[in-house]
Amino acid sequence: MSIRFDHVSKKFGPKQILDDVSFEVKRGEILFILGKSGMGKSVTLKHIIGVFAPDAGNIFVDDYEVSAMNTRERIDELTLVRQRCGMVFQHPALLDSLTNYENIAFGLRSQQYQKKIGKKLSEDEIHELVLEKLSLVHLDQEILSLFPHEVSYGVQKRVSMARTLAPGPEYLLFDEPTTGLDPLSTSSINELIFELSRKLKVTSIIVSHDMACALSIADQILFLDQGKILLIAPPKDVVNSTIPLVQDFFKETMALLPPNWSIKT
Amino acid sequence: MSIESRVTDAMEGTTHTLQSVISKSVSVVVHTLEELGSGWIFFLRVMRTYRKTSGYKDAIIEQIAEVSTRTISTVIFAGLFVGAILVLQFDVMLKRFDAETLLGGLNTSATIREIGPMIISFLLAGKIGAYTTAELANMRVTEQIDAVESLGVSPIQYLIIPRFIAIVLSSVVLLAIGLSVSVLGSIFVAQYFCGMNMYQYIASIPRFAGAWTIFEGLVRSIIFSTIVANVSTHKGYSATGGARGVGRAVTQSAIYINVYIVVANFISSSLLEWIHDLFFWAKNIVERLIF
Repeated sequence: MSIRFDHVSKKFGPKQILDDVSFEVKRGEILFILGKSGMGKSVTLKHIIGVFAPDAGNIFVDDYEVSAMNTRERIDELTLVRQRCGMVFQHPALLDSLTNYENIAFGLRSQQYQKKIGKKLSEDEIHELVLEKLSLVHLDQEILSLFPHEVSYGVQKRVSMARTLAPGPEYLLFDEPTTGLDPLSTSSINELIFELSRKLKVTSIIVSHDMACALSIADQILFLDQGKILLIAPPKDVVNSTIPLVQDFFKETMALLPPNWSIKT
Repeated sequence: MSIESRVTDAMEGTTHTLQSVISKSVSVVVHTLEELGSGWIFFLRVMRTYRKTSGYKDAIIEQIAEVSTRTISTVIFAGLFVGAILVLQFDVMLKRFDAETLLGGLNTSATIREIGPMIISFLLAGKIGAYTTAELANMRVTEQIDAVESLGVSPIQYLIIPRFIAIVLSSVVLLAIGLSVSVLGSIFVAQYFCGMNMYQYIASIPRFAGAWTIFEGLVRSIIFSTIVANVSTHKGYSATGGARGVGRAVTQSAIYINVYIVVANFISSSLLEWIHDLFFWAKNIVERLIF
């Protein structure tokens, strides 16, 4: 049970975004993808849920070859894969015409989810699940009746996470989950990601610029540069790496860290 | 500089200008074909998804209510003036030939068949089309559409089809209301501005406008509202590039809808005329055979 990239390449116009990328994330692992902006980190995530199809190579989610599913005939299989993967976007991406409650319940009301669990959930069951997910992201019930624009950006991010968690995904994909947040919210979202990954025992892939967070909670860290993998290694090996970009990231991070901070071993 | 080299320079300059004109023309043609192609593919995708799926009745009703309430006042207001303008123009022309008695028929026929559906569709393009494109484009650039997709829900089914159906149905109804109002407006203007008896005006209507006229108006309304629905949803759905992308999508949507409506009006006029002739030719033959 894993997510596997096999020699994946992708071009947008003349620009090579991914160049022969291969890696594997095993069940229950937390993988951080780090790198400068525009180096193909988010594109990597979107390949996993089939938003983009690779020009070359294969992508597997469990036994499903996602890279071969972007056809009219296999779109139903792709929907199945998408239900296994919950994606938290860079922006909260909440539907602004729905309340926070309706946003969290959105995936639970879909015909595909009902097909997956083999029944149509009653309103009471949906309500129960919404409350359960809300408590997982440490939010109060008061925000449920409000629309996304009526709550803060940090709360929107948490609602977005609750929406992703609602259909019970086996893989969590985070696309720069702390972008646009203040340091306190950033730290609490990072803790939340770690807590969710461990509590729900799901596999997580996190695209981020946050080296400190990566070093403290990741099982593996992958560095992408110019579409190529520079390094994929556990945090303790990343610290000792001699690759200039990795060292730069590490030095910048060390300057900002509190004294009690520690690397995951 | 010798005459020979000047002639060579001039010829080179002309060749260069010609090449640039040709390459620009080719790129315009290619771009137009690409636009038409992608719009058509999108339309087929919407139709295929519509046939494959069901549900979202509430979303469709909600969209119809939203579209109708947002545009009805504009349509009524504009409809009044469409009829009024045509009456004034026809009146000037017909007076020259002492044919004012034909005013009601000519004006009503032109309003229902041609001008009314076109002008009211332009208004709908500005009002519903622009709104729909902006809304969907904003959802696209803020990843709301990606989020819907990632939750295993088809954005075409959830976001596009309700809007598409709502725009087509509401536009047909709104066009019918707009055309009725413009006929009433023209009666009013004929009576009080052109000095024509209202009953005389109404009496001449059946001479030019019958069931076929209404059929033509209806067919055009359906065609134009489908154009508004398809272009506005397609442009919004395929928007890219942040706030600028939203602006670009809305502008393109407005331009393409108006151009497509004018072209569709010409094609539908020719086709409907041909169908009309064919229909009456067949009718005559059948009548001769029977009687």
